[in-house]
Amino acid sequence: MSEVILRTEDLNVKFSLRGRVLHAIRGVSLEVYKGESLAIVGESGSGKSVLTKTFMGLLDQNGWVDSGSIWFEGNDLAQYKTEKEWLTIRGKKIAMVLQDPMTSLNPLKTIGKQIGEALELHQGLKGDDANKRIQEILLDVGIKEPARRMKQYPHQFSGGMRQRVVIAIAVACQPDILICDEPTTALDVTIQAQILGLIRDLIRKYNLTCIYITHDLGVVANVADRIAVMYAGDIVEIGTSEEIFFSPKHPYTWALLSSLPQLGVKGEELFSIRGTPPNLFNEIKGDAFAPRNPKALNIDFKERPPYFDISDTHKVRCWLQDPRAPKVEPPQVLERISTEGGNLYEQ
Amino acid sequence: MLKYVGKRLLAALVTLFIILTTVFVLMRQMPIEGYFDNIDKADQGVIDAKLHQLGLKDPMHIQLLNFYKNILKGDLGVSNRYRTGAPIIDIIAGKAPISIQMGLISMALSLLLGIPLGAKMARSKYKFWDKIGTGFIVFINAVPAAVYYIYIQSYGSSMLKISMLFDPSKFLNWVLPVFSMSLGSIAYYAMWLRRYMVDELNKDYVQLAKAKGVTSQDITMAHVFRNAFVPMIQYIPSSLLFTISGSIYVESLYSIPGMGGLLVDVITRQDNTMVQALVMIYASIGIIGMLLGDLLMALIDPRISFAKKEGVR
Ligand SMILES: Nc1ncnc2c1ncn2[C@@H]1O[C@H](COP(=O)(O)OP(=O)(O)OP(=O)(O)O)[C@@H](O)[C@H]1O
Ligand SMILES: [Mg+2]
Repeated sequence: MSEVILRTEDLNVKFSLRGRVLHAIRGVSLEVYKGESLAIVGESGSGKSVLTKTFMGLLDQNGWVDSGSIWFEGNDLAQYKTEKEWLTIRGKKIAMVLQDPMTSLNPLKTIGKQIGEALELHQGLKGDDANKRIQEILLDVGIKEPARRMKQYPHQFSGGMRQRVVIAIAVACQPDILICDEPTTALDVTIQAQILGLIRDLIRKYNLTCIYITHDLGVVANVADRIAVMYAGDIVEIGTSEEIFFSPKHPYTWALLSSLPQLGVKGEELFSIRGTPPNLFNEIKGDAFAPRNPKALNIDFKERPPYFDISDTHKVRCWLQDPRAPKVEPPQVLERISTEGGNLYEQ
Repeated sequence: MLKYVGKRLLAALVTLFIILTTVFVLMRQMPIEGYFDNIDKADQGVIDAKLHQLGLKDPMHIQLLNFYKNILKGDLGVSNRYRTGAPIIDIIAGKAPISIQMGLISMALSLLLGIPLGAKMARSKYKFWDKIGTGFIVFINAVPAAVYYIYIQSYGSSMLKISMLFDPSKFLNWVLPVFSMSLGSIAYYAMWLRRYMVDELNKDYVQLAKAKGVTSQDITMAHVFRNAFVPMIQYIPSSLLFTISGSIYVESLYSIPGMGGLLVDVITRQDNTMVQALVMIYASIGIIGMLLGDLLMALIDPRISFAKKEGVR
């Protein structure tokens, strides 16, 4: 594998809310490789956004990194306190695309200005040089007539076009890492595919490392080299795309895959995961997924599983991999992924 | 743009026409005593002659027509009781300048103090300055103005060693009334700016600006403050026009010969023509204020489009 660009070690993030403490990220150790596209998937509330926000110092005021470290270019970002320190990272090294393009642009500034702001901050470009570059970037993200469009305001753009602008802003920073936090969730399906394609092209063109957050595994198949599955503030399984799709090991990953609409059979009810994620205000004992797992083992309720290595690239936090555990087969439907896998990849 | 201005102007004129007509018709229902200095001593013949001369015996539509003709000529009629025989325009012209001067100064002071206070409060939400500011706003809104006006007048005068009554030629004498007049608007501007800024600070675009590396200083000034100020701009012309039309209480407290006390005076004196003229002036001020607010807003907020609808793409 290639060089590690960012690494977290046993990262813990907490929030204080009305006098109580919520443990949102529970000991995440993750390596992100230079040039790869890593997808983070998981249900709503599993901590995908919080995890990536810690990389840029963008946690809400009531949140903090409780312990652990975030290594990037020889510095531990978990120790960063001041705005001055974070300004060396934000935009410059790590840029972000947010979920809702309708609200992530300032409605009272032209999009040219908003892209220009990033150019001036990170490349010192101003005036005509900046204008030229803004137009190039707009073309890059597929916006035609850039000279005219750059003078327009966000309300003159549709949702998909606005997301292109947001992506243009991120790219204008020329970062090393691009974090896309559910960039297509708010868009309709045809536009989703276009934006996804655009992100893929830009990653290649600008040599970006991409962390792509989504709760839709169907989308992931198209962008990711590797997939990390998050549950209740923890990464429960991580592996290459092929490993996660074709030989998943964690019961939660099985459940996520089984609920893919692509695997549904006409007329049959789609699989859905029973129960709700654990309350992160309480201390979690054992495997966080156990209460929702019909085949949970006794030990799942008592002790938190360690990571078991399946291959060099694939590891899973699950007691089923223990030599003493009984053999539990993945659900039958998952076999359809191998037969209909082509389907998943070509949306 | 021109089309938009034209449309708004037309709407304002129609509103003004409806209000003026309504006021005029209503005023005609007032007792006729309001047109005479001393009706008890006049005999019926004199009364009838005067009413005839004023045109009050004509059918309503003729009266209205004459009324609009006179307005267009800039003639508001004469006072009959307040200052018998004096043209209303002259009376107002004598009183307006002092009110306008005070109003403008007070307006400037309110903006100068209220806006930074609101911005500071929003930036230090729930911290020291926010608490101080909130205390001030609550005080201004909860305590009747009359109470602190009187305190300001009596303590202020003795502190500055000046007389309690107004003397336009002395600078120090301007301080207390102008300050009193401004307190309400300072609280008002601070309160709304804080609210709008806190709203803006929670928006996604602030997150994105932060993520692209803009300093929090620049985010507050170039993004948040600017955006929060836009909805306030709409109210500034009205607020300006109303402050220059005089503050009733402050003017009477300091015996300032301004516009503020005039309406109260003419109502107690039952001077029909003057009441009519003043009500109309205040109504017009309100309408003009709103019109200017809308136009200013349209100039500044790109989302309000003047041109034909251009589809989003
Ligand atoms: N400011 C905050 N205060 C308190 N709790 C928070 C805060 N921000 C996030 N959390 C909690 O942290 C947990 C993880 O939230 P996060 O936003 O990372 O979820 P997510 O995986 O991104 O979900 P989604 O798919 O809905 O975006 C949730 O339980 C959430 O309630
Ligand atoms: Mg999220």
